[in-house]
Amino acid sequence: MTEPPEDVGADRRRLVGLIVGAVIAALIIGLLVVGLLARGDSTSIDDALATGQRPPAPNITLPVLVSGAGLPPVGQTASLASLKGTPVVLNLWASWCGPCRDEAPIFEKAWDKYKGKGALVLGLDLQDLSENALAFVKKYDITYPSLRDGTDASKRDLEATGVPETFIIDRKGRIALHITGQVTDLRQITVPLDQVLAEK
Amino acid sequence: MRRALAIALAAFALGGVAAPAFAVTAQQIYRETRCPTCNTPLDVSTSPAAQAIKDFIQVRIAKGQTEEQILAALEAEFGREVLATPPKEGFDLVAWIVPIVLVVGGLCAIPLVTRSWARRRHTDTPAPEISPEDAARLDDELKNHPG
Repeated sequence: MTEPPEDVGADRRRLVGLIVGAVIAALIIGLLVVGLLARGDSTSIDDALATGQRPPAPNITLPVLVSGAGLPPVGQTASLASLKGTPVVLNLWASWCGPCRDEAPIFEKAWDKYKGKGALVLGLDLQDLSENALAFVKKYDITYPSLRDGTDASKRDLEATGVPETFIIDRKGRIALHITGQVTDLRQITVPLDQVLAEK
Repeated sequence: MRRALAIALAAFALGGVAAPAFAVTAQQIYRETRCPTCNTPLDVSTSPAAQAIKDFIQVRIAKGQTEEQILAALEAEFGREVLATPPKEGFDLVAWIVPIVLVVGGLCAIPLVTRSWARRRHTDTPAPEISPEDAARLDDELKNHPG
């Protein structure tokens, strides 16, 4: 027995409706997946460090907030790639961050100790107002240079979870150490930095 | 005429008094911006970064800056992500277009779906079969019925 033609038409419309619905659902799910991936909760840097490897530091290029130590003048940009050959202590901070205030003197001491010895202490001010950041630098007598990122792009690239966090980058531009949270003792910096400095 | 003039003058005077209500308020700008660290609207965020931005906004309002000037300054500091509503250009247009397309598509689908359901109910439910006994009883009843 053959099916009436109107039933065939209704079935076809139903099928088309299902396909359109499935395509829209797939698009929405795709957008959600892209959004979640863009949030970047990746841990590949820490995973590599945990297995004794040194992952390459992301090539971050940012405006200079506080110049010095051969960095371009304020307003121009500087990149981590341009610092290859120099071990770098990269400290992520913000003026609104309480622990950053507490650890700033430790980084200043580290800068005092290493500034003539081929290593660089470099601040990276994150998601902060420029005027507040500059007031912070003045208030805590910070003399080492700093870059600035108002967005969370470099934080994502470095797979940092917030501030304060610190990275020690070797001469080859590889991350040798990632310290999550506040540095409370100068030796947390000096011990690994001496080791990196001793490497050729 | 005199009455009309009085009403016009009163409206003008009230307009003058009401003018400050149109000035930008901090709450207004809080609602249009997001905390960069926690990604929530500034008016509900209590993070230290949000508090710093709230202070920034209040200082600029006190200086007499307009809403546009303050939002532009915040965008220069933190990028577009600081704005609660995405700009109506480039890829960000997707955020404006997709909800409209979905709502219009949904509204258009309602009559199609309801018609399809109605048709399915009509065709899917055939008249119930009548048993031979019932058919005989029905014939008798119809025969005996005077009308």
